[in-house]
Amino acid sequence: MNSKAITRAAAVTITLIAAATIGSELSATFKQLLTTIGGHHWIGKSVLSVVFFGLLYLVFAKVSDDRFALKDTGVLIGTVFVSGLAILSFYVLHA
Amino acid sequence: MVNPLILIHAAIAEIGLFAFLWVVVEMLNPSETRIARAQVAALTGFACLFFAWLVGGFYYVEVYGLHIKPLIKASDAKWVHSIVMEVKEHVFLFLPILATLTTALLYKYDEELINNRDARLSIVLLAGLIFLMGFSIAGMGAVISSGYRFALMTGMA
Repeated sequence: MNSKAITRAAAVTITLIAAATIGSELSATFKQLLTTIGGHHWIGKSVLSVVFFGLLYLVFAKVSDDRFALKDTGVLIGTVFVSGLAILSFYVLHA
Repeated sequence: MVNPLILIHAAIAEIGLFAFLWVVVEMLNPSETRIARAQVAALTGFACLFFAWLVGGFYYVEVYGLHIKPLIKASDAKWVHSIVMEVKEHVFLFLPILATLTTALLYKYDEELINNRDARLSIVLLAGLIFLMGFSIAGMGAVISSGYRFALMTGMA
């Protein structure tokens, strides 16, 4: 397993979850597209998060070396906070 | 009556979160035995969070969305759904990914964790993040339950 690749795949997947969450509230077409995946937009996001995590790992494993550093984890944790804050801010502002 | 699915969802998720707290404790001063215990804990936490995802997802779509959400949205506490539930259901999706990563790192580095400071600290930070985020999400669950009770009481008044 390539540690750097899986950490980067996690960071990008979490960013995509936040983008899909906000995007589905702003675009009815996109929300409908997510709904067609699993019968409900949340299931669509759930399925896509697993699929993208796997695919992104395969892509990053091709281009990343395996020299894992604490900095990679730092970037991931930063991504979690920014993505979480983006989701929270969006719903507070649009409630 | 409380739907048993919500109790199963909450209980399994909290067992999973405590399993990741266990990982943090074992990794503070790792030895071969502690790393082996941390791997069991991480695998348990990973399995619990995935099961909680499935049970919670089924409950959310089949019960909450049909029976509880309309009541909350019709009450003065509609923010409970439009902010708290929306944030909870989406931020939760981060947890299985972080749990997969943490468990994978523990198994990859194995006994190397005794000397590999970066990998060890990464696991401590990620497992700690899972625990803190998870219990923040559990707190949101408690707010949603209170919102539902409020909606029921004001609906009957």
